[in-house]
Amino acid sequence: MRTGRSSIVPLLTPATAWFGLFFALPIAAMLVVSFWVVANYQLVPTFTLTNYTKLAQPLYLSIIVRTFAIATIVTILAALVGYPVAYYLARRLKRLRVFVLTLIVLPLWTSYLVRSFAWMLVLGTSGAFNWFLQGIGVTDQPVRWFLYTEFAVIIALVHIYLPFFILPVFAVLDKLDDRLLEASSDLGASPWTSFWTVTLPLSRPGISTGCLLVFIPAAGSYVSPELLGGPSVLMIGSVIAQQFGLVFEYAFGSALALTLMTGILIVALGLLRIGKVQGLK
Amino acid sequence: MTREQGIGTLALAVWTALVVLFLLLPLFVIVAFSFNDSDFPSFPMRGLTLKWYWRFLESDELLAALWNSTLVAFATMVLATTFGTLAAIGLARSGARTQKFMRPLLSTPMMTPRLVVGIALLNMFNLLSMQLSLLTVIVGHTVVAVPYVILVVSARLVGLDPRIEEAAADLGATRTRVLIDILLPLLRPAVLGSALIAFTLSFDEVVVTFFTTGTENTLPTTIWAMLRYGITPEINAVSTLTMIATVALALGAEVMIRSGGVHRR
Repeated sequence: MRTGRSSIVPLLTPATAWFGLFFALPIAAMLVVSFWVVANYQLVPTFTLTNYTKLAQPLYLSIIVRTFAIATIVTILAALVGYPVAYYLARRLKRLRVFVLTLIVLPLWTSYLVRSFAWMLVLGTSGAFNWFLQGIGVTDQPVRWFLYTEFAVIIALVHIYLPFFILPVFAVLDKLDDRLLEASSDLGASPWTSFWTVTLPLSRPGISTGCLLVFIPAAGSYVSPELLGGPSVLMIGSVIAQQFGLVFEYAFGSALALTLMTGILIVALGLLRIGKVQGLK
Repeated sequence: MTREQGIGTLALAVWTALVVLFLLLPLFVIVAFSFNDSDFPSFPMRGLTLKWYWRFLESDELLAALWNSTLVAFATMVLATTFGTLAAIGLARSGARTQKFMRPLLSTPMMTPRLVVGIALLNMFNLLSMQLSLLTVIVGHTVVAVPYVILVVSARLVGLDPRIEEAAADLGATRTRVLIDILLPLLRPAVLGSALIAFTLSFDEVVVTFFTTGTENTLPTTIWAMLRYGITPEINAVSTLTMIATVALALGAEVMIRSGGVHRR
């Protein structure tokens, strides 16, 4: 192409400048503030690690552990539930494929607030789920532990982020070279063996991207645990929000947010490593 | 297909149907309750009514929020689509090294929890003693939306024949002319599609808005505040209306993006 470097710079400038000013700079400011202290509702510039040592307190430690545990469970469930769907859409379904894909993507277009709220209606003591269970006679008293528990948070997060797992896995399986499976079958492998030794290993890039797209928002979720978890299922997102809302502890809140981001980054790098298919091409 | 495979396919089909139901049913519950003639959303449902929708249309607070949401979403759409489209074209024209470095960098906001995007901005605006308003909300929403625009427009750029641009340049068109007369018309489906994505993204966003807004509320932050006081039937009506609006826009975006297949190589 004849376009040189000079024509690229102005095209990339607006987006890069916007991200620099309103994304990179705020994150950097948060890093700085995380070493400051708050006195009389004012941020005081200094250099201290107290905000970070505070994280080691059992209360915060348990919240951090719970957050990453819930995000991990949500990711694993999304993978187990979503993989067969992606496989069916990519490898078996022909005629209705676009239609079913649209149905799966459709919920993504409704706000995650509305989708979290929907589960309040479904899981409440007078909700759809309890009504159904009582109707078929499984229980005569409404089940109380559906809402305001880890169960509610996990089921809602799987619901909200499941399409993010299905789509990348579908994309990979859709492009899978049929000849590889033919070769495998010609060499005597059963369909089951072919799946475990050819299809599944080759879908690794899609699985890792999908896990990433579920894990990140799940670990950083705030709306769903607030609405569905109740006070006993505190996740790190709610604690961060509290520091920036009610209690004006911006310094500690910044340290919490950076801890969350570091944790997410470590998991993300791990997943990206797993996603690389070796020895191919 | 062997008999075993047939059973396998059937099992997969049943599973897929169940998952689609799982994804859609909770949304139907909201729609159903929005017509339920009862102050408290509980099963079994009572008679049908439209009064919750009337209640919405009579509420100045909700209508003001709707106006704010529309305003913010429109501004976000214009900014994000412009920045994102230009960046996508710039990326497509730059070398492999620049792309390998810049693409992940420009997608980081997508990989950051919305909560962190919101509070990081709040923290900075606070340090700079800046007044929070709908303008600061637009700033935050644009950060969130730009990576999606880049993603969609880049996907379309991959399918374009670079020789079209070369031909135009050989015939004497300047770079600006190539951009305006050749590239943008070819990219139109993707650009319009991503504009709708940016609009809905902003229209639905609650966390970033919550932390970057001053005294004004958007529709999602109003719903959020209402939910703090318990579930009222108006929330179902408002949620249903926003769902219908965003899904209609989404289907529009789908059609736009898909209709771009004509010029593919």
